[in-house]
Amino acid sequence: MSVVDHNAIELGPRISEAEVGDYLALLKPRVMSLVIFTALVGLVIAPGHFHPVLAFTSLLCIAVGAGASGALNMALEGDIDALMSRTANRPIPRGRVTASEAMAFGLTLAFFSVMTLGILVNWYAGALLAFTIFFYVVIYTMWLKRRTAQNIVIGGAAGSLPPVVAWVAATGSLSVEPLLLFLIIFFWTPPHFWALALFRSDDYARAGIPMLPVVAGPDATRLQILLYTIVLVAVAVAPWPLGYFDAIYGVTSLVLGAGMLACAVHVYRRRERAESLRATRKMFAFSILYLFALFATLLLEVTVRGIAASIG
Amino acid sequence: MPDDPRLPDGIVLTEAQKRSRRQRSIAIALALGVLVVLFFAVTIVKGPAVLNRPL
Repeated sequence: MSVVDHNAIELGPRISEAEVGDYLALLKPRVMSLVIFTALVGLVIAPGHFHPVLAFTSLLCIAVGAGASGALNMALEGDIDALMSRTANRPIPRGRVTASEAMAFGLTLAFFSVMTLGILVNWYAGALLAFTIFFYVVIYTMWLKRRTAQNIVIGGAAGSLPPVVAWVAATGSLSVEPLLLFLIIFFWTPPHFWALALFRSDDYARAGIPMLPVVAGPDATRLQILLYTIVLVAVAVAPWPLGYFDAIYGVTSLVLGAGMLACAVHVYRRRERAESLRATRKMFAFSILYLFALFATLLLEVTVRGIAASIG
Repeated sequence: MPDDPRLPDGIVLTEAQKRSRRQRSIAIALALGVLVVLFFAVTIVKGPAVLNRPL
């Protein structure tokens, strides 16, 4: 009887058949599009003139940095991605790209995005982009995600930083406005991801990720969603009375906030399985619309102000 | 050396492996091209100030 497992013998070097699309999928394009959009708003609301070529360079570096974070995240999470239906189709679980290839790809993109932003725009922005990638990969992915139910609360800081990086790229300094954008995304992240975790809790439980619904149960999660939504709506409206953003933003924020609150109340009250599922899916979808519409309003406001100034 | 002299020496790529490698090479070339154009464009935009990089 042989004790050698012949299946385990590597007969030759592995030659990749990964296509460009597989590498693009490692960048998490949907997350990247939200990062680009929020960073664009950070650029547009920044005071002073910023040359379009430098603005484009900044956005490109921030987008590539976000993509690098996604690739590094996937390189480190191939094992749990394979266990969840939402992520089982990613390039690493499908065997299209190895974890080490994804790691090399992510590190290369991270290096080039940070260095290019630093050299061509400014080093404050470059350093902040490096910190954002570090926070997402090391603090969130490697440290928090598998250890605590507060993973996405703290880890959400990484996703909140792109408009701040963009502002710093445009101005070379920090101010209250980008920090307000940071806070809006920071408080938006928990209700958004917990709504997803509520209807994907089986997935997370199978993968052993301590998301709030898995650790504390769905009822505690519903309460947390409601509480964070109340804080989010208050934080999102606050810039209007504080005088940082104008009335168009204020009114839109109030209307959208009412919608977010209604969704959160629905999630809190509907506990019967089918109704609860519908409510959480609706909350998840509306939360994306909420953030998009809120930031789009800021874009619109700055554009209207620019047109009014050019006419006047 | 393979036993059969008609077989090529070393690793032989399949058509799929050749195709994907070519695709990846083109993508890397394009990315490097974009980087070169970006550095050139920013150098033109900044002019002599390109050497002034306050920390």
